[in-house]
Amino acid sequence: MADVKNLLAQFDDISKNPQRLLKEYLNAGDKVIACFPVYTPQPLVLAADMVPMGIWGGQCNPQIAGKYAPIFTCSLLRSCLEFGMTGAYRGVSAAIMPIICDTFRGMNSAWRAGVKDIRPITFIYPQNRKDPGARDFLIEEIKTVRSALEEISGKEITNEALQNAIALCNKRNAVMRAFCEAANDHLDLIRPADRHHVMKAATFLRPEKTIEMVSALTEALAAEPVCDWKGKKVILTGITCEPDEVLGYFADNNVAVVGDDLAQESRQYRSDYPAANSAIESLALHWFAIYGCSTAHDDNNTARGQMLVKLAKDSGADCVVLCMMRFCEIEEYDQPSVIDTVTRAGLMSFSIDIDQSTTESGQALTKIQAFAEN
Amino acid sequence: MFAAGIDIGSTASKAVILAADGGIAAKAIVPIGTGTVGPARVFAQALEKAGITRDDIQWITATGYGRFSFEGINDQKSELSCHARGIAHLLPATRTIVDIGGQDIKVMRINGKGMLLNFVMNDKCAAGTGRFLDTMAKVLDVEVTDLSDLSFQADEAAEISSTCTVFAESEVISKLAANIRLENIVSGIHKSVARRVASLVQRCGIQPEVAMSGGVALNKGLVHSLEEEIKHPIQVHEDCQLAGALGAALYALGSMRSA
Repeated sequence: MADVKNLLAQFDDISKNPQRLLKEYLNAGDKVIACFPVYTPQPLVLAADMVPMGIWGGQCNPQIAGKYAPIFTCSLLRSCLEFGMTGAYRGVSAAIMPIICDTFRGMNSAWRAGVKDIRPITFIYPQNRKDPGARDFLIEEIKTVRSALEEISGKEITNEALQNAIALCNKRNAVMRAFCEAANDHLDLIRPADRHHVMKAATFLRPEKTIEMVSALTEALAAEPVCDWKGKKVILTGITCEPDEVLGYFADNNVAVVGDDLAQESRQYRSDYPAANSAIESLALHWFAIYGCSTAHDDNNTARGQMLVKLAKDSGADCVVLCMMRFCEIEEYDQPSVIDTVTRAGLMSFSIDIDQSTTESGQALTKIQAFAEN
Repeated sequence: MFAAGIDIGSTASKAVILAADGGIAAKAIVPIGTGTVGPARVFAQALEKAGITRDDIQWITATGYGRFSFEGINDQKSELSCHARGIAHLLPATRTIVDIGGQDIKVMRINGKGMLLNFVMNDKCAAGTGRFLDTMAKVLDVEVTDLSDLSFQADEAAEISSTCTVFAESEVISKLAANIRLENIVSGIHKSVARRVASLVQRCGIQPEVAMSGGVALNKGLVHSLEEEIKHPIQVHEDCQLAGALGAALYALGSMRSA
């Protein structure tokens, strides 16, 4: 028990202090590359002997981002821009920005205008994923990212180094998935916020450190008695589910999180980089293996809903909670078909508003409480 | 002994007191909500109407936006659960509830026991809410209670945005400047609210019968517009504004009996 609590406290601390971790990397002489969400090809960064760090905005009331990003900008990207403009990311060598939605297209320009000290490395994920040319196009896009990273690191990214980095990331994926499974046997110990802290900390840590710490936590959990959870269980889907107050509403109402499809959490870890003719091709093929994701076009409107239904049934969840990132239009477009598919499968579903620009979340509490009461 | 439910909304406070046999002993409404003297006043009024004192109340359940701030309660429940329970008591055949509150819209699907099967709420936007109607009435310089009658005198509905309260306010001022009939503007406002609410109803799914709760349900013009948009008749009980408080009182009664 002490091990579990100690490790959870460490994950909590890391998840809430990425700036301190950034300074530690920089003080150790490492170059750090910021990775915007989602599916940033982190193995390229690792293969160039640099550190990839996820950036996920944070709770703030943007004061100057409005100069370049209108009020109706995705809440997460607006706070990223605010942090970029106010120096919170100072020291990172570049920021990789996958252009996976229209907001990112605009953010590219806004970032260049507002954050002059952090170079954006942009690339485009092709949305017509069934077109035979999409693979070749994406390989060329990834090569541009590789070139930029080689220039920053002063190191050539070899196929061998990239293969090793891919293997490391795939191992991290497996470790994260194993933790999620283990957590479901210990819902008394892994409260929703605890689970989130582990997942979020992993976006800031080196993969080796994530593997070490998360594996230790999973092992420590295995030594604890399995919990027969009597409360309700939910799956979270969306971009993020923060801050802790919102996750605390689940815990306060005896509701456990038994799975997620959050971009900040399991979405990044559920698909491995596949075997391919080359490491670069493996990075590209990863994108075509993505399913049930608002950022990746799918001709099947029910794909995400079906995936969530399966996830819910496999984990015994009673409900799918849509965590709607404020002004994230791709998530908004997905919402009706996801709700329809999920409710047709006999599951309950409701949405909560995730807004990084305010701490007011009373409506989320009302919804979570209502779910728990019925 | 008695059980009490108090619904502390953003714009009004409502209270219902039930006798031990479940009969309504008193009900009261005060048109000011959380953060004001409204909750205390409505509770005092309900006690006075029932002819009892606070000591005669064995269990108080609070609900609504201000449910955490009322002192002396035994417990609190979400307004979604309380509206579902209250409407199921008032109109037992109801399976879909639309509640337009002061600052939010709730659409609920319930079973025959008043348990929630699913629900949808608007998210942090005043468009389509009671606050929207208050704002429009102010711009038009009419009482919000007059909106219903005015809308029935319209010969056509003016086109009003359903996107944003602030934009809609500008639109209404433009319509007034263009000498469009006040009645037509009011009808357009109702249509605007109805469209917004209807999209949430469609998202939640409609199962007859449909009922409205909350004070906005007293606006027959708006109810008519919503019926047209969702293409279903809507039941409105005379105590629709008290549905949340009644639901809370029913929860309190249940707790009192099992205590």
